[in-house]
Amino acid sequence: MKSIRTFSIALIGLLLLNSCELTELDNYNGPNATIHGGVYDQETGELVQQDIINGMAIEYIEHGYDNPHTQYIVVKNDGTFRNNIMFSGDYTIQPVRGNFVPIESVEIKVEGDKIQNFNVQPYIRIRNVVIQKQDNKVVATFNLAQTVTNNVNTIGLFAHAEMNVGEPLNLVAAKININAVSNDVFQYRLEINLEANSSTLKSGKEYYFRVGALIDAPEAKYNYAPALKIAI
Amino acid sequence: MMKKIIFTYMLFVILLGTSSSCSDYLEVEPKNKVSANAVLSDPDGIRGYLANLYYQLPIEDFVYFPRAGYNARGNTGSLSLSQYSLEAIHSEWPNWNEFNNQWWDKGYKLNRNINLLEESILTVDFSEAERTQIEGEIAFLRAYTYYGLVKQYGGVSIITENQEYTTDWESLRVPRSTEKVTWDFVLSQLDIAIDKLPESRHNEDETKRRGTKWAAAGLKTRVALHAASIAKFWNQAPLSGEAVSKGLVGMKASEAEHYYKETIEAAEMILNSGSFNLYMPEPASPLEAAINYQNLFMNPNVASTEMLFMRGYGHAGGPLAHDYDGWNNPNQTGEGFPHVGRTNPVLGLIDLYENYNTPGESSPIITTTDGQLHDGEFNDAIPYKRFSSPEDIFEGKDARLFASIIFPGSIWKGTEIVIQGGIVKPDGSVIGSKDSYEHNGVTYYTYGAETPNRYSGFDGTPNMTRTGFLMKKFLDEGSRINTWLQSTTDFADIRYAEVLLNYAEAVAESGYGSILLATKALNDIRKRAGHTTIIPLTLENVLRERSVELAFENKDYWDLIRRRNYHTIFNNFIKTALVPMIDLRGPEPAFIFVRKNVPGAQPNTFSERDFYRSIPRINNNGLIQNPQH
Repeated sequence: MKSIRTFSIALIGLLLLNSCELTELDNYNGPNATIHGGVYDQETGELVQQDIINGMAIEYIEHGYDNPHTQYIVVKNDGTFRNNIMFSGDYTIQPVRGNFVPIESVEIKVEGDKIQNFNVQPYIRIRNVVIQKQDNKVVATFNLAQTVTNNVNTIGLFAHAEMNVGEPLNLVAAKININAVSNDVFQYRLEINLEANSSTLKSGKEYYFRVGALIDAPEAKYNYAPALKIAI
Repeated sequence: MMKKIIFTYMLFVILLGTSSSCSDYLEVEPKNKVSANAVLSDPDGIRGYLANLYYQLPIEDFVYFPRAGYNARGNTGSLSLSQYSLEAIHSEWPNWNEFNNQWWDKGYKLNRNINLLEESILTVDFSEAERTQIEGEIAFLRAYTYYGLVKQYGGVSIITENQEYTTDWESLRVPRSTEKVTWDFVLSQLDIAIDKLPESRHNEDETKRRGTKWAAAGLKTRVALHAASIAKFWNQAPLSGEAVSKGLVGMKASEAEHYYKETIEAAEMILNSGSFNLYMPEPASPLEAAINYQNLFMNPNVASTEMLFMRGYGHAGGPLAHDYDGWNNPNQTGEGFPHVGRTNPVLGLIDLYENYNTPGESSPIITTTDGQLHDGEFNDAIPYKRFSSPEDIFEGKDARLFASIIFPGSIWKGTEIVIQGGIVKPDGSVIGSKDSYEHNGVTYYTYGAETPNRYSGFDGTPNMTRTGFLMKKFLDEGSRINTWLQSTTDFADIRYAEVLLNYAEAVAESGYGSILLATKALNDIRKRAGHTTIIPLTLENVLRERSVELAFENKDYWDLIRRRNYHTIFNNFIKTALVPMIDLRGPEPAFIFVRKNVPGAQPNTFSERDFYRSIPRINNNGLIQNPQH
């Protein structure tokens, strides 16, 4: 009687194994490739500053699948990006929703350690930035050089304890709506009153300050100058 | 012997294997279930079936929680939609920021149930009048269902015929329609419903709880206004990608005009019918207005002239009751329910309520003698106003504040609700954590009383408000809630006040319709709240009135979405609280108030992709995904 049970279990087991092909091993490679690079100003060769929260993204689609999911890489504040767990293969890749004139997607092959840089035309270059503490204020002065004919929507000076400071991440912001085309000789000035913000910006501590400007274009993000650390 | 048994066994297996597939021996009707055909071939069966469809409708009421879904009971955490908007914040999870709520599967299940009903009524013996009515009801349910889908996903697959199961997947795949086509589909279904549904039914209960001509027209004002807003404001938060270029999400600004006209037309039909009015439209005093307004939500059945469509609850202890009272009572009147005080109205909302002295403008809570708004932590140098009793700071505010919100010093269920967030010592230093302080022979406690059962705020535990405010609207002041599922308060889903506001907004935005009638609509609502001054029809006035009148009715979230300003407001945004403190600096102790960020709340930023939800399983259903998901 016992052998019948053994026999039945074996029979059922064999059937199950056969039907699900559990005997076959997954022999695909793991994500063994790396991709990294930066978003560079095509004129100056500098990295184009970004935001992490709600910032630009790099979209990539792996070839060889039906109706594939679009995947994303977030770009760091300094304009660089990195994905260390990428599957080797062919991809269509494109930086999107950025602070630069949109560029076409590119077809790339990712293998080993892949470096992929993008050269872009930023909407606005922020020049001659001076951020200083003057008495009870932090004052920023700067020029704007816009590369497109759209209006400049807003300019802002942002403060936060973290170096990732920007429009989506700040403790205090001084923003002015411009809604006009800028010219590159006018000196813009923004200031944060430290006394009025003494409960958020504590005196004696260091904070990061960063100047940004937003172009009036669909899905555009702020252009920035690099953040500056100031003790107040 | 053994061999023979094995042989027999093998033979049996083989026989069974070969015969079962081609014999219907096992295909018997189950004895413990009623078959679909039996239900749907009988008018009474259809009524039962319909009740279930109404149950499944995406109505955002007491049992709707963005995370747990519709009809969610039990331990949902009470993460309600008002906490996603500018109305409130959650006491336990002030930083909740998840936009992941899905209704795709349940929405299409409901859609299938509606299609099944439509298919089977063809074979049922109805009178012509009965048939027209049920066709109207199907159109109403279908419109409500697709409205639930389109506002979350944009354009969706429109499936109005029952799909038979087949392994030919390709034949079952229905591509998404454009967002515009989907909105138009909802509106066309509502036109059918308006045309075919009766104005009333056998009795009041049924009239208010089932689709009628007026429920359909009321829903149409909401739907058309939503569509108009998306067309008009799309460019404030444009998206890109395949779904956008194919029109699956987004609409052209030029479409807005048409939808505003549809809103106006549907609203005027209701306004001019003479069938509806606000409940208690002319109170003698603000006090009376507050009582009327509180009663309207404690039991909407008293206000049948204001109700176009309601959702009924009943049977305390059973699955048709809810837990709104349980989750939201102040800690002091928790009465044994395990989790209380969850929805905390925020100062930003309180500020919006008008003062009777300054009609037509928001009246922010002024905490200092210089009349300026001071936001931020307590500062010894700021001249705070001193009050002998905490509720005095709200004097003169709109009656609806007193009817909707419990604030420090409110009397609720006969108990004075104690909400206090600190002590200012005579030397100007502050005690903000649990402690006591003796001054002139009296002991003062940080949170207003010695033990937690005698206060309701600020000690940081989830049962205490962290904004200074608690819910009153919808709560039953006469009930005792000591366990789950004890609330049976009905929910006013579509009420006349909303229709008036939809009308006023459409007129203010588009310039079509009657400015006279829209101004009256706006001011009728204010008159019911005890106001006596007529204010002009401006967009600002309409939107403020909307936030105040419809507070906590789960409209504000969708207003921010459809008007495309969620992302500009929720950008590094922290909600605010009003913290009362006992101030011992003067000769007499007094209450002062500090306007500041909600304790424990971090800046919150909304991502523009969340104007639409992601579509699940696109690998299977072959649909085009929404932008950035």
